[in-house]
Parts: sequence; C-alpha cells; structure tokens
Amino acid sequence: MNGTATKAAKDRRAYWAMVLPSFLIYLFVFGFPIVLAIVLSLSNYGGGKMFGGTSWGITGFRQYQRLFADPYFWNALKNNIYIVLVSVLGQLPLGFIFAYLIYRKTVKFEEFWQGVLYVPAMISTIVVGILWSIIFSPYGPIADTANHYYASAYSAKISGIFQTTGGLSDPDELTDQIIKASPSTINTVFSDPSVDLKDFLLSYEPGDTATLQKDLVNLLAPRWNADFLSKNNVAMIPICFVTLWMWVGTYLLIFLANMQKIDRGIIEAAQIDGASEMQIMGRVVLPSLSKVIANSAILCISGSLSGFALILAMTGGGPARVTQVLSIYMYDKAFMGAPDYPLANAIAIMIVLFSLALVGIMFALERRFGGKE
Amino acid sequence: MNQQQGVQMRGKRGKKPIRPGTILGKAVAYLVMGIFAFMTIYPLVWLFFSSFKTTTEFRTNMMGLPIDWTLENYRSAWKIGEFDKLIGNSVLYTLGSTVGITFLSLLTGFAFAKIKSKATGPIYGSFIIGILLTIQSLMVPLFLEVTSIDRGIGDFLRSLGLVGSGEFRLFHNTRFGVLIIYIGSALPVGIYMCTEYIRGIPSAIIEAAQIDGAGYFRIFRSIIVGMSKPIAMTLSILNIPSLWNEFALINILVSETNLKSLPLGIYKFSGGLSSDYGKQFAALVIGMLPMLLFYIAFRKQITAGVSMGALKE
Repeated sequence: MNGTATKAAKDRRAYWAMVLPSFLIYLFVFGFPIVLAIVLSLSNYGGGKMFGGTSWGITGFRQYQRLFADPYFWNALKNNIYIVLVSVLGQLPLGFIFAYLIYRKTVKFEEFWQGVLYVPAMISTIVVGILWSIIFSPYGPIADTANHYYASAYSAKISGIFQTTGGLSDPDELTDQIIKASPSTINTVFSDPSVDLKDFLLSYEPGDTATLQKDLVNLLAPRWNADFLSKNNVAMIPICFVTLWMWVGTYLLIFLANMQKIDRGIIEAAQIDGASEMQIMGRVVLPSLSKVIANSAILCISGSLSGFALILAMTGGGPARVTQVLSIYMYDKAFMGAPDYPLANAIAIMIVLFSLALVGIMFALERRFGGKE
Repeated sequence: MNQQQGVQMRGKRGKKPIRPGTILGKAVAYLVMGIFAFMTIYPLVWLFFSSFKTTTEFRTNMMGLPIDWTLENYRSAWKIGEFDKLIGNSVLYTLGSTVGITFLSLLTGFAFAKIKSKATGPIYGSFIIGILLTIQSLMVPLFLEVTSIDRGIGDFLRSLGLVGSGEFRLFHNTRFGVLIIYIGSALPVGIYMCTEYIRGIPSAIIEAAQIDGAGYFRIFRSIIVGMSKPIAMTLSILNIPSLWNEFALINILVSETNLKSLPLGIYKFSGGLSSDYGKQFAALVIGMLPMLLFYIAFRKQITAGVSMGALKE
C-alpha cells in the first residue's frame, strides 16, 4: 500500500515536471496577454508604469464605444473581410482544383507543380511584400512595360492623324483629332485643350512635324496608372492578389495528399457506373475531403486575420489608411504616434473574437454539410 | 498510369463512355496552371537578375538580363545592412527555438498521452484553444507584458541595490525573450501533434519498461525520444521556415540592431533606401535564399509535413 502511494506521488511529480515548463511558457505567451488585453481594454491605462506609477483604473466599455464610432475601425474590418473572402473563396477552390487536376492526372509532372507552386510560402512575407510593392509601383516593371507599349501605339495613332488631316495645314481639324485620340491625358496637360493645344501646334514650323509628333507622344501618350497601391478604390486588389499568390500552393499540397488517401476502388466503381469527371469530383472527392477542407478553412481564416507583415511591407496600411486591416490598425494605435493602449487592446480582443466567431461558423458548416469521413 | 488505363477500358464497357479529360480540357488545365507557375517563378527570377544591375541600369533596362553584371549591390548591402549579424541572429533564434519547441512538445506530449492525470483534460484543452488563437493579434498586450515585467523586476532589484541605474532587461530587447516567446507561440501545435502521435505508441512497451523498474524520465529518454523521431522531424521541418520568416513578434520584441533577425533587418533596411533598387534587390535575394535552399534540400519532408494539415501561419 505504501509502495503504491509513493509510486503515485512519484508519477505525479514526473507528470508536473514534464507539463509545467510548457504550461508556464504557454501562459506567459498566450494566457497572460489575453487577460491583460481584456483588462486594459476596459481601462484608461495611458502607458508608463503598470504598477505603482500614475494611477489608472477600470472605466468600463468606453474603449469599445470609441472603437465602434471610429470609421477607420469599420474600414479595417471591411478590408479584413475582403482578405478572408479572397483566402477562403480563392485559395481553397484554386488549391482544390489544381490538386484535383494533378490527382486525376489531367496534367502530368506532379512533382513540378507541387514544387513550384509551394515556393512562395517558403519566402519571408516581408520579402514578398517588398518585392510586390516594387513590381506594382509606378516605377516598376509593369508600368515600364505598359508605358513602352502605350507610347508606341500612341505614336502610330498620331502619325496616322497627321497623314489623314494633312498635318499643320488644317490646325483646327488636327487639334480636334488629337484631343479625341488622347482622352486620358489631354486635360492634365492643357487646361483648355481646344485653344491651348492649337497654340502649341502652331508654335512649330510646318517642316518640324517629325519633332512635333515626337513631342506630342512624350506629352500625351497615355500612362499606365500603376499606382494601384495608392488609389483608394483599388488599393486592396494587389494585396488580395499577393495573398492568393502566397498560399495557393499550400492548399494544393494539403488537398493533393488527402486525395491520394481516397480509396481508388470507390472512384473506379463510380467510373464503371458511368459517372462523369464532374460527378466524381462533386460526389466522391469533395465529400471525402470535407473535414480537411473545413480544417484548411480554419487555417486560412486565422492566417488571413493575422496578415500583418504583408500589408505592412506592401503599403504600411496607406494611403490614408485605406488598406489597413485590424492588425495594422491595432499596431498603428499602439506603436505609431501617441500610444493609445486601451484602444489597441480593445482591437486585439475584437480580432480574437472575430476569428473565434469565423472558426465557429466553419465548424457549424462542416457539421451541417460535411460528408462522412 | 496503367491502372488508370485499365479503368478507362473497363469504363467503356459500362453504360456511358468516359472521357477523362478531353484534349481541350487538358489544354485549359495546362494553360491555367502554367500561368500560375509562371507568375510564381517569373518575379523571383526577375528579382534575382535585377539584383545584379546597378540602379541606373535597372531604370533603363528593367526587363532584360543585366548587361554589366555587378556584385556591388551585394557588397554594399551586406555591409550597410550588417547581414552577417542578422543571419547569425536568425540562425540562433530559429535553431534555438526549434530545439526548445521540439523537446518541450515531446516531453509534455508524453505526459499527456501516457501518464494518467485529471489535470490533462483542462490543460491539454487550453493548449488546443491556443491553436485557434493567432499570436500576432496579441502583440500589443505581449509588448506591454514584457516591458512591464522588465521594468518591475528592474525597479525591485534596484531598490535592493542589486543592479545599477541602467535599464534592466530580461524579456524585452534580449535574445532570451525572443526565444521564450517563439517557443511559446509554437507550443500549442507542437504539443497537439506530439500528444496525438505518442498516443499511438503501444502502452505495453511503456508498461514493460516500468516493470523493469524504469521511471517516466528514463522511459522518455530511452524509448519515447527514439520512437518519436518522425514526428520530431516533421515538427522541426514545419517550424524552421515559419520561425525564420517570423516578423510580427520580433518587430515588437526587439529594437536594437544587434538583436534583429533577417526579416526585421530587411524591413528596416529597405525602408531606409526606397529608391536605391539595386541594394534593395540584393537584400531581398539574401533574405529569400536561405529558405529556398532549405526547401530544395528538404522538399520531400516539407511536402509531407504540410500535407498533414498541421501547418499554422
């Protein structure tokens, strides 16, 4: 009896010696910050010493009221929802389709596709963000290529106009035609095109048409408006694109590996029964992967909610905060300018609640519509 | 392939002939996937070649191969960005925390899986909740926690006269702090994977060892570690790239150049010279090369690990 008692005590000691270090670190990194976030989000803590410094106290839900009244919060939430949607409705379906094409051997070279499409996930998000922000910038390669193309197309158009209108011999008609041919730039160059452009044209000698045409191209050729990242209404598009770019390969790997676990016999049987390729995908492969898809969606949601580094590197939340997501908004409040810790902590709590709610929805959907394993 | 052709032939004897991918369907599939593969590779190849151009050449010859290959970008970026320090720190952070995560996950996973205790339910459950939380969303409270603790301990020790008037550092702006927080951030997934894996090891082996008089630590050392090599391998393979590339946490934990990791260093470096493209590209290549090489070396293991679905970004 005594022997078993000491053995139980020894077991207990071993158990806690094995569990406690991990658990304490876990509490330090996850547990305590959550509690701290809840407390501070209900307080008026203004920085400085947390204990024994200037006094601070619990002030209730005031921070949340401030948060909900702030249009930038709703803007950040909206952007976050875009990213979640692009992730769940873009990464997962594309990953699934690519995996399916490889699985059914519609495309060969399985190793090649897997290897190449996963590469972006191995690169630091910061590197990816800086790289793409250069690519999309108005001085980047897309703009460069497009401007070369536009300039040569415009140059051809201008010389056509000079031929049909007879050049400077009919300045009114020439002015008219040029205005029509350059709708996107004319108003940025001349304040009153029909008058100013004519004056400009007449300032050239009739023999100088070659120079004039060249100058016109330089002045009026349309420019690639590659300033995506600073145009309000489209600024989220590059970010969503890069998010897709980074993660499609990951889901391709996950889905393909799980498809390869499906019993080949089931698919053969379906084929013998005359099932089409679409039916095999919809009725056999998709249901047997429903659990994996739900788990991937959860992974995807929590990944896209923490998509902090990519946006920081691509736009920093700018221009004028239009590309802020919740995590950037929080970072801004805490670390940029005068710190507003209570509000930042309220945002942290909102992110946690938001992601738990989305994950809950995923679980519910899986339970409702998911197939059997 | 043979098997599949057999299936198709059998299929033709069925009710309807099967067309597993017409020529057109195949062409579309190759096209779409080809475009994606191109979009993946091309920017990286472009980045690589651009890093050998001077900034002037980049402006005039953006898309072509470099005409005058130069290593100057690398030389000056390496010096200005202090990449030797950054890489040293990154290696330390990545390997140190990977070893810590793997060891603690195995140890705790073994206790959860094989030592009976009423505490396992709630504690293991709390780790599972941690899988669903993204640590990045807690960066503000985490920052306040580490700075306040450092200040509190510093004030206390100063009042005892144990430390001088300088700033006391334990967690903030220390390598130790980064390691502890990296370890903590990856423990939930690690413990989950190890617990489930070790549950699959037959208890009879452990009971036999116990009859021979071995304690749990002895069993862990001589049996579990050896049998858990596959899961330890998977866990490390998954953690190394994600720790190496980590940014959000180290960004708030460290402000001293000496302690920065590679991604943080590149972010600060590139912010400092927005239009000096040559050096920026060199820095980006230095930033992505280590993990690309790692990927090439461990592609099989990474693919297997990721497809376990346990990767968490």
